[in-house]
Amino acid sequence: MNAVRRGIRNAFRNAMRSVGVVVILAVAIALSISMLIARDAVTTKINTVRASTGNTITVSPKGFFGGQGGGTPLTTAQINDLLGLSNVTGVQESLSENLTTTETSLKSPTLAGFLGRQFGGSGAGVGGSSSSTTTFTIPVRVTGTNSPGNAVTGGANGGGSEKLTSGKSFSPTSNADVAIVGSTLASKNKLKVGSTFTAWSTKITVVGIFNASSTFTDSDVLMPLATVQKLAGASGEVTSATVVVNTIDNVASVDKAISKKLGSVADVTSTQATAEAQLAPLNSVKTISTYTLIGSVIGAAIILLLSMLMIVRERRREVGVLKALGAPNRSIIMQFIAESTTFTVLGAIVGFLGGILVSSPITSALVNASGGSTSTGVSGFVRRTGGSGFTGGGSGFTPPAGATGGGLRFGGLHSTVTQLHTSAGWSTLGFALIAAIIIAALGSTVATATIVRIRPAEVLRSE
Amino acid sequence: MLKVENLDKTFNTGGGNVHAVQKVSFTANDGEVVAIIGASGSGKSTLLSLLGLLDSPDAGSIDIDGVQLANLDSSGQTKYRSTQVGFVFQQFNLIPNLSAKENVMLALEFAHWPKQDRSARAEAMLTMVGLGTDKADRRPAKLSGGEQQRVAIARAFSAQPKLILADEPTGSLDRSTGQKIVALLHEAATQQHATVLVVTHDEKIAQMADRRLEIEDGVLKEIA
Repeated sequence: MNAVRRGIRNAFRNAMRSVGVVVILAVAIALSISMLIARDAVTTKINTVRASTGNTITVSPKGFFGGQGGGTPLTTAQINDLLGLSNVTGVQESLSENLTTTETSLKSPTLAGFLGRQFGGSGAGVGGSSSSTTTFTIPVRVTGTNSPGNAVTGGANGGGSEKLTSGKSFSPTSNADVAIVGSTLASKNKLKVGSTFTAWSTKITVVGIFNASSTFTDSDVLMPLATVQKLAGASGEVTSATVVVNTIDNVASVDKAISKKLGSVADVTSTQATAEAQLAPLNSVKTISTYTLIGSVIGAAIILLLSMLMIVRERRREVGVLKALGAPNRSIIMQFIAESTTFTVLGAIVGFLGGILVSSPITSALVNASGGSTSTGVSGFVRRTGGSGFTGGGSGFTPPAGATGGGLRFGGLHSTVTQLHTSAGWSTLGFALIAAIIIAALGSTVATATIVRIRPAEVLRSE
Repeated sequence: MLKVENLDKTFNTGGGNVHAVQKVSFTANDGEVVAIIGASGSGKSTLLSLLGLLDSPDAGSIDIDGVQLANLDSSGQTKYRSTQVGFVFQQFNLIPNLSAKENVMLALEFAHWPKQDRSARAEAMLTMVGLGTDKADRRPAKLSGGEQQRVAIARAFSAQPKLILADEPTGSLDRSTGQKIVALLHEAATQQHATVLVVTHDEKIAQMADRRLEIEDGVLKEIA
């Protein structure tokens, strides 16, 4: 029987103590494993979010703001120039038009409401009677886009809730007289795939219907950018562009480059700061989990160190006897290292399994406890030639997030950042192994030093 | 043959120096059992520690078969303890979680005996000290005091050392069992051609030895 086998056997010499040491080590290792898994999950999520969310910059004509319109539209040429900037991975353009009943056969499903009557000009002013009647109806918003996939099904520009419920989308480069319409608008106008309506005195064919679970977004019409530009007589014009940056880290530099390139003709706004604020809780969890991970490994090493010190002191006489019998120090040290390694391996196995089991709830608890707030989206833009204000109204006009490229849905982002997927792979197992080795090595150091100092004559003299 | 000359060992106890061993000189032949008697604190256990290289002398020399032990380095001393010396203690000092046979094999492992021979050698040694195979697999706690000391003797002789140092080997045993143990040491010494030094304060046990030495205040003298 060699020293290693003796050491392994010694680990089971005192069952009660062995179980105690293993359980304490297992708890410490389980904590470190769960912290590692939490840290990995959070890091992965942060990287994913940083690469896909908050990495957009909205470019709009100077003076444009919300539904109020204003300013001079940008041109496709100006926007296409942005593609040449470093770290820009894509540019989505859109042109939004509000069509009145004289310009389209469609009827908006949205009621005008008090503000609508106010803006319509025939109702009472603010504070006046709300019982006056008017013929005013909310215009139908038509958005031309060169990224219907992102606009409808969500994607890099922050859209996320619009889904095609029937039919299909159109090609980004199409100039056909086709449209996909919101489900509420389709219902109001009894439209289905294949139906037609008129806009700008042109017959438009419905090729798809989408649902965004938003009354206002579902009242919109999406058409190819080129078609809207052609029919609206706004050739080469865009009311909004969304520049997609490869990662959130480069948003600031791209923002600066766009401002420099477009000068005073455009307003450039990014959502980096808000996205970073949303990621702050995850960064906090990452920091906490890192420190807890290190602390739990050190804690486990200290537990083992004290246990082994206690065991060596308890077996001083035995060590003295072994030395008297001619055992070299290295053999005795190896025996105790094998014993501490056995404790650690058993603790690591139990801790690894326990860590995997508790990692998910611990990660969720950490993320939830670290806080985080939701924000509302940024408004989209509608073209109003001549700078006239928005004449619609009602109870507000929520921009079609994603559809017009201007809105980052932070409510969605918040739920995204808190939905973490925890998993343990080979790297986690590797960590457990390395941690076990470190713990065993640290835990054996003092014991080793004590063994070397034991003089057999002193131990045996005490007889 | 063991030859000790002018061995000195002094301890500083804080309250002054204690001369545990003073100018000790003696010789012992192979197969000879020598009893060292003396009162508690007379220096007999210190003398055994010096002979077993568990402690280093301040002066003097120890020679076994012409080899000067003072010249050995740490590694050489370890090798000396594992191959040339066997210890028998008053409290037996068997490893509690190893069986009787494994305890004997432990000494063989440290002496680098071939692995394949260790088991047979251990069984042979246990048989020699009167323990049947039925007790070879028992742990020390399942053996009587006398049986444990037999295992300790088997362990001490197993690697065929030249010197056996027995420190009060009968101290924890009744007189009858103690006499059997000393007889066993005598028999083993004869069979293995080893020198056996038995430290005891029991005159009757000492009388069973071939020679008797008395140590008093660290000074050793032969008893006729």
